[in-house]
Amino acid sequence: MRFQDAARDARAVVYAGIQAEPGVARTAALLADATAAQRVLARAIMNGETMDGAHWRAMFPSLFGPSAVGDDAQHARSAAILEASLAVADRGEQVRSQVRGALVEELTAQLLARRVAAGAVHRERRILFDGVRAEIHPYDVTVERDGAAEAYDCKWGARGINADVLHQLDDARTHAAEEEGRLTVSLVVFDARRSCDVRLAHQTAPHEATAIVTIENLDELTGPPR
Amino acid sequence: MSAETIQALIDRVLDAYAVLEELGEEIEDEWSYVADLSDAWRTRFDEVAAHRGAIDAPDEASAAIDVAIDEIRRIEDPHRAIDWLSTFPQVVLLAMGEQP
Repeated sequence: MRFQDAARDARAVVYAGIQAEPGVARTAALLADATAAQRVLARAIMNGETMDGAHWRAMFPSLFGPSAVGDDAQHARSAAILEASLAVADRGEQVRSQVRGALVEELTAQLLARRVAAGAVHRERRILFDGVRAEIHPYDVTVERDGAAEAYDCKWGARGINADVLHQLDDARTHAAEEEGRLTVSLVVFDARRSCDVRLAHQTAPHEATAIVTIENLDELTGPPR
Repeated sequence: MSAETIQALIDRVLDAYAVLEELGEEIEDEWSYVADLSDAWRTRFDEVAAHRGAIDAPDEASAAIDVAIDEIRRIEDPHRAIDWLSTFPQVVLLAMGEQP
């Protein structure tokens, strides 16, 4: 099993520009320390129609207003997430979608870097196996360590779960096992577990050995892989 | 406290949710997913109603949900409607002090 940078076609170059935007890393850093409710706030605004901050503040009384829970630092983080999310929502529809995807990838990478050495976390990597044709699409995030490699694909919403991504993850795990290697595979979805379960129930592709990380349990990325 | 019970609040939520579901169903390839997704979240609301339906909803929960309903009424794109079939229940449940 070997890891390799993905070839960069024109589309990948454009997307790399989105991934490299400072706002993506800053927003991911806010979400890495966020509560579950703050992450739902970000998801709602970035999916939303309205650009009025007061509208979103009223929608989340547990984060804003007189009965908001948490300390001053948490209140400040809620406000910062609101502003950062509005900035994403203010982009055109196509760019908004790309930024949201890049954000989930960056958030995943940042959380993983709390568990493993930052140098072990990579982005946009292909995984090569002897005698197996390489997948065209790279994995969003990988952890590359001898004997404990991990591969992650990242999705903004449950609807992004599809047969292709499930097959790709499970195939990589299977090929690694055939080489007597170990590769843990996971799908990170910035959406509710309930919605992901419904989506997965519609899939026939193998996913029993793929960990599903959802908006409620993102912090598990900082712990040992299952 | 408002005069509205949690049950009445959930009834309003489900009325708005049904409209969102109809919009999402316009994506024919996703029809069964939309139906199952909606059923799954209705089940969650039913659980909340069974436990807390008779009690009064806090004013700020009613106000928050009014704003959330206003947000989904603005949606015209069926793809975005499908996103909100998952997002809206999460927002509403948090406003009611429940875990999604």
